[in-house]
Amino acid sequence: MNHSEYDVIVVGGGHAGAEAAHAAARMGARTLLVTMALDRIGQMSCNPAVGGIGKGQIVREIDALGGLMGVATDRAGIQFRMLNRSKGPAVWSPRAQCDRMLYAATVRSLLEDTPGLFLRADTAADLLTGPGETDRPCVLGIVTQLGQTFRAPCVVLTNGTFMGGVIHVGEQKLGGGRMGEGASHGLTGALHRLGFESGRLKTGTPPRLDGRTIDYDALEEQPGDMKPSPFSYLTDALPQEQCSCWLAYTNPAVHDALRAGFDQSPMFAGRIEGRGPRYCPSIEDKIDRFADKDRHQLFIEPEGRDTYEVYLNGFSTSLPEQVQIDAIHRVRGLERAHLLRPGYAIEYDYFPPHQLRYTLETKPVDGLFFAGQINGTTGYEEAAGQGVLAGINAALKLRGDDSLVLRRDQAYLGVLVDDLVAKGTDEPYRMFTSRAEHRMLLRQDNADARLTPTGHRLGLASQARLDRMLARAEALRATIKNIQTVAVTPAQANEYLFSAGTTLLSEPERLARVVLRPEVDLESFLHTTGLYDRVVVEGAGIESVVVRAEIALKYAGYVEREREAVDRLAALDELQIPPAFDFSAVQSITHEARQKLTRIRPSNVGQASRISGVSPADVQALVVLLRRRSHNVSRETSEAV
Amino acid sequence: MLSSDTIAAVATPRGTGALAIVRVSGPEAIAVVARCFGDRIIGAPSHTAHAGYLSSPTGELLDQVVVTVFRAPSSATGEDVVEVTTHGGDVAPQLVLRALLDAGARVADPGEFTQRAFLNGKLDLAQAEAVADLIHAAAGRAHRTSVAHLRGDYSRLLDALRHELLDPAAYLELELDFSEEDVAFADRTALSALLARAEATLSELLGSYRFGALVRDGVRVAIVGRPNVGKSTLLNALVGYDRAIVSAVPGTTRDEVEAEAEIDGLRFRFTDTAGLRETEDAVEAEGVRRALARAVEADVLLYVFDVIGSLAPAERLFLTAARAARPDVPVLLIANKADLVDTEPDSAGAILCAAKVAGDPGVGAIVRAIGEAARGGVADAEASRVVTNARHRQHLAAALAAVVRARAALSSRVSADLLALDLRVALHELGAITGAITNEHVLDQIFSRFCIGK
Repeated sequence: MNHSEYDVIVVGGGHAGAEAAHAAARMGARTLLVTMALDRIGQMSCNPAVGGIGKGQIVREIDALGGLMGVATDRAGIQFRMLNRSKGPAVWSPRAQCDRMLYAATVRSLLEDTPGLFLRADTAADLLTGPGETDRPCVLGIVTQLGQTFRAPCVVLTNGTFMGGVIHVGEQKLGGGRMGEGASHGLTGALHRLGFESGRLKTGTPPRLDGRTIDYDALEEQPGDMKPSPFSYLTDALPQEQCSCWLAYTNPAVHDALRAGFDQSPMFAGRIEGRGPRYCPSIEDKIDRFADKDRHQLFIEPEGRDTYEVYLNGFSTSLPEQVQIDAIHRVRGLERAHLLRPGYAIEYDYFPPHQLRYTLETKPVDGLFFAGQINGTTGYEEAAGQGVLAGINAALKLRGDDSLVLRRDQAYLGVLVDDLVAKGTDEPYRMFTSRAEHRMLLRQDNADARLTPTGHRLGLASQARLDRMLARAEALRATIKNIQTVAVTPAQANEYLFSAGTTLLSEPERLARVVLRPEVDLESFLHTTGLYDRVVVEGAGIESVVVRAEIALKYAGYVEREREAVDRLAALDELQIPPAFDFSAVQSITHEARQKLTRIRPSNVGQASRISGVSPADVQALVVLLRRRSHNVSRETSEAV
Repeated sequence: MLSSDTIAAVATPRGTGALAIVRVSGPEAIAVVARCFGDRIIGAPSHTAHAGYLSSPTGELLDQVVVTVFRAPSSATGEDVVEVTTHGGDVAPQLVLRALLDAGARVADPGEFTQRAFLNGKLDLAQAEAVADLIHAAAGRAHRTSVAHLRGDYSRLLDALRHELLDPAAYLELELDFSEEDVAFADRTALSALLARAEATLSELLGSYRFGALVRDGVRVAIVGRPNVGKSTLLNALVGYDRAIVSAVPGTTRDEVEAEAEIDGLRFRFTDTAGLRETEDAVEAEGVRRALARAVEADVLLYVFDVIGSLAPAERLFLTAARAARPDVPVLLIANKADLVDTEPDSAGAILCAAKVAGDPGVGAIVRAIGEAARGGVADAEASRVVTNARHRQHLAAALAAVVRARAALSSRVSADLLALDLRVALHELGAITGAITNEHVLDQIFSRFCIGK
């Protein structure tokens, strides 16, 4: 066996790298995963949790395609909650606290169980490139810090925060990609030489505390769901015993203690140049920008079942260690808390993602793919999602098959990639449900129907997964059919309808019509009326079939309107912009739009319309201009004839 | 410069007028005109006028003209523009245009000058649409409305509404995306009040579309009635000159006669229909059929009857049918030939008039009544709030539907995700008229105002 030649090389063993390597190998590519430390594969660098609003949906999609994250979370999860249950199914979002060490071990063992996937502990220091079939160079492999050369026609870079990583704690400053681990140098320079532009971003992490020194009686308990819902469509039972998180609050005395350290803050002193995420501000940022708020919520999250270490969510900071300790000791319940590890800020290199194609292959270098924080995103889920897509597209490129590009109305992953490529980002990008204009279609309960057939066709999702998806779909179909045909009598229904505060029936009514009333909860209605067994065809997997049927019926009108909107927008995607089109010469659009379009170079008007700074009037101008060009072309053609 | 070719067209209406303008725009505009007018304009500065004679490229003298040069980008289209002022009528401008086409210009497509102005950043989309309306607007009020659009009044009104709606939209998204955080939620009472106001504003704007269409296209007034009640005489009195055939033989007017008049800033298009009469004569029957068709197409219906007779049962049936077909069309009853009776007759709600008598006060009353009926309560000062553009109307209607759904959602137990969806649709539709509010703006709003982030 040749130990230096592969089909795909993945650099980095975080959430993006693990998924990319797994997907490529599952699809038949001989894959090498090179990472600085094998025992840090699948490491949760920040909070010990997976999912959340907008992010939980991404994990469902990764799972539906056949990725790792959902399966690993179910094995390592110690508290499962469905967020937003009261807000409507479009935004129901699964989230789980995980045992950090168990999670990493699970990911590693899942990778070790993947045929055709090889691990290697080393650091990539340079890229090998050569002339390609196009006018662009193509990637040939990597050279490591230890001087090894590995060759492959596809390389996926998933370097996270390690490239040019600098850690700040107060006035202390040290090189590194995570506390206690070195940074990676060399690759940024290699990429600059290949014509890439890079930028600096910043993120932060809160302190870790010793749970034995916390007075839990003074805190508010936040238990998990009574009936925890797993992440993976394949999981039937969750193996870990469930535990609670705890709520604490800052107060004015805490804020005073923090303010005392502002003059030593790397953020305020301007020592940090990179831009941080607005939705995940440091605690010093919160009290500075929202000075009128006299308390902020803190979440105390367990790091695992076999450790006392806890994570102080909401207290991300880069203030000096002693300032952190003084401030924490003024929080009720944390008066005696022992600090295990201070919070810190980290700055790192990223490569603005307008340099990517929709396949996550880079525009300047053929065969080179980027996934994860290197593209300016933040979050395990966003990274893992890109990893799956990069791994899939690397394998497809090797096969010579059509690439996989998901649409915005098809998956959050489609929204993610389109936002990155079409809009770029100058702050760490996180998913929100409000980024998805077709939120109603992209639900956590239907990711398998949306993506598993694709994952199976590509060779990533297993036959068992497809069978499971088909069974869920069939149970749903049969249940909806029953709801549409079965009638309910006034005697059966009126007691429930009365207590729900809605009008009573005077004659038998089809169940489907009663379900449409907003006041009626289908599951309890079926139980009260004794119709449950007649109507519901039970199926395995996530979200009960009753709930899914209720969504399908109650939301049909909205879903229909969303579909129409999708069709309308699709027309813009079909209006192609010629590759040589000179945006800078279009006087009828704003200066800002001209600059953005020139930089990003969208290939159709739909993409152009989604670039921030490009207004509908600008889009209209492009439409007029492109139609006129085609009109002129046909005029010239007809005159020539 | 985007355009590669140079276009030309007669820019003034056909027919009447002492002078006409032929406009040329494009990179070769000055060279093309120079070929017919002389090289002295080649180096001429922008915004200069030059008197002289214009000939065909073959040297045939065509007209005495004034040539005005506008250089890019300081011109109406943003390109080099030359305006040739010729003598009016049908002949001179056409000959001059022909000569300029022979000299290398191409005939402009309809609206192409406006399109170039838009593409060269001289007009925004709403303004370009307003220009198109302006071109079609014949009367004073239409002109004012289009000018108001050009100034941007219309965009400002919609922008204000969008920004008002952005606020609750941001609050709702905050509620959905950050429910785990310690943040304030959308105030449902305030939202409900805002939506009620938005619904009123949008309904009013949409209501103005009918009036806006009248402003743009003119008010269609159908004059209907039995034969020989004086419809043609009334038409002539209304437009102030003899247009229709006026005769004492019933059924003279067999074809519809159109006449236009500008009254109080609005353009009116009167149609004098054939008399309504039961008859065996095929032509006459056709006239009756057309009268009925016109009656339901009209914006205002004038029903004329002879004050000596009264409304026959058949006429009442006709009126009932017309009202049922178009309940929104005002019907004015006109009791004509008041000069033939000595005593004040019972007009039964009709306007009394004597169309035959010059300066009859009844005709003035009819003119005022038509104006009021057409305006339908739209105040004069609100000219900038009149929607004249069909594309805008479509987006406004979609926005209104979304606001109505959102109000319904608020009052029933519909979940916040659906409520947010309706608000998004409303914002999107309003944005399609003047400029977008993207999900990025909503997030910016959230991050700038609320303390987010664990």
